[in-house]
Amino acid sequence: MIAAVSIDSLAKVFGGLRAVDGVSLQVAPGERRALIGPNGAGKTTLFHCVTGTLQPSSGSVKLFDTDVTYLPEHQRTKLGIGRTFQITNVFTDLSPVESLALAIVGSDRRKWICGRPLGAFPDIRAQALARLDAVGLKDDPDKPVKLLSYGERRQLELALALSTNPKVLFLDEPCAGLSPSERQRIFNMIRALPREITVVMIEHDMDVALGLADRVTVMNRGRVMAEGTPAEVQSNFEVRNVYFGQA
Amino acid sequence: MSPYRVILALTALAAALITPLIAGPYWMSLITQIYIYGLLALSVDLLLGHAGLYSLCQASFFAVAAYTTAILQVRYGQPTIVAAPAGLVAGTLLAVLYGCAVRTRGVYFILITIALGYIIWGAFYRWASFTGGDNGITNVPPPSVSVVSITSQTAYYYFVLAVVILCAFGYRILTQSPFGLSLRGIKGSESRMQSLGYRTTMHLYVAFVISGAIASLAGVLYVYYNRFINPVAASFQISVEASLMAIVGGSGTIVGPFIGAGIFLGLRNWVSSFFEMHTAVMGIVFIATVLWAPSGIVGFIERWRTRDEKVKRQP
Repeated sequence: MIAAVSIDSLAKVFGGLRAVDGVSLQVAPGERRALIGPNGAGKTTLFHCVTGTLQPSSGSVKLFDTDVTYLPEHQRTKLGIGRTFQITNVFTDLSPVESLALAIVGSDRRKWICGRPLGAFPDIRAQALARLDAVGLKDDPDKPVKLLSYGERRQLELALALSTNPKVLFLDEPCAGLSPSERQRIFNMIRALPREITVVMIEHDMDVALGLADRVTVMNRGRVMAEGTPAEVQSNFEVRNVYFGQA
Repeated sequence: MSPYRVILALTALAAALITPLIAGPYWMSLITQIYIYGLLALSVDLLLGHAGLYSLCQASFFAVAAYTTAILQVRYGQPTIVAAPAGLVAGTLLAVLYGCAVRTRGVYFILITIALGYIIWGAFYRWASFTGGDNGITNVPPPSVSVVSITSQTAYYYFVLAVVILCAFGYRILTQSPFGLSLRGIKGSESRMQSLGYRTTMHLYVAFVISGAIASLAGVLYVYYNRFINPVAASFQISVEASLMAIVGGSGTIVGPFIGAGIFLGLRNWVSSFFEMHTAVMGIVFIATVLWAPSGIVGFIERWRTRDEKVKRQP
């Protein structure tokens, strides 16, 4: 079987720091994979290398057997990579509908249209509203994003990532900084995603990470330290030592 | 569009149309100049207010278009029908070339556009055999197409007004189109746009070329207005003034750059009549804008209006 994501001895060096130091991992299609590890383990850097924000120093990344290691980010998006950012990355001056409209036309040629206002495309607006509804954001679709709450922005972030119709979704701490009830809502949304979408996520909240994941990869100091089912990882002595903080 | 805006737009249009009936030559000349500089400021603002790029070489496109038109008319005796479009094309072609600057961002983009601007200024200044050097090109004839010739000041005023209104409409559609929205998206978060599948550099490049074309149009209008062009038109100072007009008037809006041009040129003409250090006054105006009206005059008025509404809505 072809892996959805296949990372081979990937390394990213910043000066003297080996942020990612020879990571290899395979994620099967439809799998939910959690990536955990202490701060500075290299999780987000690994994400950046896979999604194209950063160029890896060495190694390779394959998406369904297509080598994407040196592709620019927008082409990886076309091939089916979607992502959210650790630090909420939304358009604060635009409205949720405009944000989603950008995401919808981003994958077709309509993004180059100069001579017709966006209002002349009722189908784009309808599609945007439907996608907002799907993440529970149908109130105030035309209010600027800067007036939305932090939790709502996280929901919008997820809607943006999903609107490019990704085959593999990379979620960088989707529940970070949320209240317990908001956390539950995002948790339910991720769990409700269809299995055609492979999900790789970084999460510090163990209930979320272990509750959603089929398999867990533990990183420490830029390397993969352990990999297995949530139960296996939780019982791993070494992992408990560095991550759960008890021997 | 709200009724308030419709009334405001119609009033402005009516005022612009009757200006030649009530204003003397001095005021008409000043207002024509405001329209032309407003158009140049609008070209700056497509990049600054929408795409988030601070270009400081807009005077290059302006001047190359103006010089091309002037040289073709004066040196080679070409008619307006050839010279004016040639100026437009020359300025736009320069933008196609200079557009490579969008490979950089932030302060590097500002620095590289300053350097690119100086190349053009230097060429016009030093290549005296072709450009007339410091003296520039004089005696540019009024624009004429076959038998119709726009010789009077009033006729040219209306011509510039018509061009500016057409541009404003086109600009409005452009900024509200999916492409215009993509520019605001890039200004908001370029990394997010890339992960949504946008080749952001390409979008910025196209915006840069469109902006260069608008600046070129302003340059062609300018050379027929002034009947004379010299290297000052290509100078760093003009690029800075055009961006100040956009910022003072209200970045990210259509009327803002024109209001900014009006304030800037009006103040300069008025203050310089009695105070030698008028540029110092312009500096103070700019500092005051940044401190108390960072979104420009238009933003200031909008804020004042909405505050008024909020008070009314309260029981």
